[in-house]
Amino acid sequence: MAESNNTSYKRMGLVIFGILAILTLMEFGLAVYLNIWVLLTLLAILKAGLVMYYYMHIYRLFTPDSDTDRHSYAYKLVTSRLGLWLFMLSDAFIFGGLLISRFNLMGFTRPELSQPLGLAVTSILLVSSFFANRAETSMANGDRKQFTISTVITMVLGILFILGVLGVEWQLAPFKAADGVQGAVFYSMTGFHVFHVLTGVIFLGIVLRNAMRGHYSEEKHWAVEAAAVYWHFIDVVWIFFYPALYLIGTLR
Amino acid sequence: MKKFFSLGLIRGLLWQAVGTGIGVGIVTLIRVLMGLPAWKAEPATVFGALLGVFFFLAGVGAFTDWFRMAKGEEVEEMPDESHLGAMRYFGVSLDHKVIGIQYMVFSIVLMSVGGMFALIFRTELAETGMQFLSLIEYNTLMSLHGIVMIVSILVGIAAIMNYTVPLLIGASDMAFPRLNAFSFWVGVPSGLVILSSLFLGGFDTGWTGYPPLSVRAPLGMQMFFLGVALVGFTSILGSINIIATIIRLRSKGMTPFRMPIFIWAAIATSIISLTATQLIGLSFEMVMFQRLFGMGFFDPVKGGNPILFQHLFWFYSHPAVYVFVLPGLGIISELLPVFARKPLFGYKWVAMSSLGIALVGFLVWGHHMFTSGMAEYLRVPFMYSTLLVAIPTGVKFFSWVATLWRGKITFPVPMLFVLASIVVFLMGGLTGPPNATISTDLHLQDTYYIVGHFHDTLFGGFMFPFFAAVYYWFPKMTGRRLNEKLGKLHFWLVTPSFFVLSLWMMRIGLLGMRRRIADYDPALQFQTYHQVMTFSGYFIALGVLVFIINLIWSAKKGEPAIGNIWNSRSPEWQVPSPMPMHNYDRQFEVVGEPYDYGLPGSTYVKFEGE
Repeated sequence: MAESNNTSYKRMGLVIFGILAILTLMEFGLAVYLNIWVLLTLLAILKAGLVMYYYMHIYRLFTPDSDTDRHSYAYKLVTSRLGLWLFMLSDAFIFGGLLISRFNLMGFTRPELSQPLGLAVTSILLVSSFFANRAETSMANGDRKQFTISTVITMVLGILFILGVLGVEWQLAPFKAADGVQGAVFYSMTGFHVFHVLTGVIFLGIVLRNAMRGHYSEEKHWAVEAAAVYWHFIDVVWIFFYPALYLIGTLR
Repeated sequence: MKKFFSLGLIRGLLWQAVGTGIGVGIVTLIRVLMGLPAWKAEPATVFGALLGVFFFLAGVGAFTDWFRMAKGEEVEEMPDESHLGAMRYFGVSLDHKVIGIQYMVFSIVLMSVGGMFALIFRTELAETGMQFLSLIEYNTLMSLHGIVMIVSILVGIAAIMNYTVPLLIGASDMAFPRLNAFSFWVGVPSGLVILSSLFLGGFDTGWTGYPPLSVRAPLGMQMFFLGVALVGFTSILGSINIIATIIRLRSKGMTPFRMPIFIWAAIATSIISLTATQLIGLSFEMVMFQRLFGMGFFDPVKGGNPILFQHLFWFYSHPAVYVFVLPGLGIISELLPVFARKPLFGYKWVAMSSLGIALVGFLVWGHHMFTSGMAEYLRVPFMYSTLLVAIPTGVKFFSWVATLWRGKITFPVPMLFVLASIVVFLMGGLTGPPNATISTDLHLQDTYYIVGHFHDTLFGGFMFPFFAAVYYWFPKMTGRRLNEKLGKLHFWLVTPSFFVLSLWMMRIGLLGMRRRIADYDPALQFQTYHQVMTFSGYFIALGVLVFIINLIWSAKKGEPAIGNIWNSRSPEWQVPSPMPMHNYDRQFEVVGEPYDYGLPGSTYVKFEGE
């Protein structure tokens, strides 16, 4: 029983990752050959939906309580989940505002950015989301070793993403923050996003440290779940930012 | 002396000063290392103020439990703070009742500060010509009056919701007590940051901070932007708590349509402040970035669009009006049945009207921009959506009138304020449609008519209900009631003067008095109006002074009121005042309708073991 359970969650993670990877490549191909913003937006919504359902377990918000005692761990867990989702909903409005500003200011033109680099950082974040999910499901299935490995990989990929954006992309971009509206849009969008990635890495670090000290168990690991869900939220944001910054529209 | 420094608030303030200094130092050091001229006021002050706020929070102890949780240590679920006595009001407390009172005091302090600003510039307006203020001082005081009052209102509604929501639904505390304490404490240093703009050159844009003027305004502008963006977290995090508490911690049997009506108002308010608040923060941050890094969001020379700021800004700031008034309207609906001894008329409709106002409120922001150069085709849709707000608001008015109809009305102080707020809010509501209708708004835009209109909505929608709520729940907080005579004096000082003030504001607005200006042409012959309005302003201030004296005096020496002095059916009045540490000793179950006053034999709640 434990064995079959073990493989099934791992297989599920791989399948979802495969679908997301294919969709991302489709998105890129679509942008190159058939740049229709409606299709790109629909693809982004599809990807975000998949991440929210399979990685962020949005359905868990709507499952009835297993324990009605207010002071039990199970009851508080559901309350905490609700709190985290409310926070993310609120945060989503900042990113929504940035997206609206981007289209208001630049219309259907996009900044001059390095396409391979954009695809690279997107892939890094996508892979990191796979490992964040692997870490969480491993913890839920009691596989400590796998959890540690996956969390470390997620954090490394997160740091790579930050370095990729701040260290490479920001330096290579042919415009600076004060150079016209594309600079304003590009640096503010990536800046806000990278700040969230940074907080996510810190959160994962705290969780990893506490897990190594044995603070979590198969049943009680809300912090692990929260860190993973928050990480996927950052991924969802990037799922919308990537086409908005790199794909939609003609070069400015 | 040692005891003095052990107070969280004092520690926080000291740390904030230190943090600000460190922030200024860091920026200067970096500039020196980069080979730039060492001193540049703007980045240094902004970073210093930001770091100061975090230092305040660390100093006061708002992070302590989270640090311990991050280190993997256990923290106490509901610590017993009773040994601290009155000291716990000056530091981080996790008790929602203490936090509610902290909010209340903070709100009244801000209200007094903002009111003082108003008195100063109203005195200046009493005569034509400039008497004792310079133009920038006038502009700064006028702008700060706006924003300080807005923050005071946000803090005030947080006070009412924090104190009452867990009591009304029978929870022992909020869903996330630490987050709740954090929400309060982040407001204190941010409020100081806003006020510091007074000493950093001020700012002259009014509370709306429109670019391009705000890009060129003095340094005080940045403090205003930073302070408001940070104070937004009070709203955002507070509303997460309110929504989670209401969804998860209701008492047994409290189905959605058996919740006290105020809970519906709290949820509607929280939906707005949870989501929309981020956009005022974002719009202000964008102007800050434009000033600091030269990013061209709102600079047409760089391809930016100043109108974008207004869209982002009003997407919050119009719904914010409903954030201000919905809890107040909820209090009117909550208290009317108690003092009319009748069921609330049309409970479900009133509940839905709160949600309706909140949802329609998201679609109306453009009516602030009819004259701003916004796309023409947007005007008419925004006019209609704005007028639509009148429908759910009208539902509330019909409910109130029908509730009063043939009731056995008594007139203690809370009821006086409730009745006054209905009348004042009606005036505010009826003067709204001319502003929403494009053809009339083109004439009314930027006149004192608008000023009169929104002072009416905010006094009717927040100030008077807030006073009513404080008079009503004060015995629950302290076990003593507020002095009725002083309360009546407060009421009769404030209400008639307010009518004079707001009606005359609208009158001279129609005659052509522009808003936000420091001086006016003597030929307009507004001087007498302005003098009477200034006197009315002083009377209102006197009334609020009486209120504050009453609060302090009655908390110590007021008439003891242990029992259910208002004869209410609400659960919090079924137990003796003041409320014990973790609220109800015995859980209750909801067995009836909340507002069936006058129906023999019906009860709302049944306590365990009864």
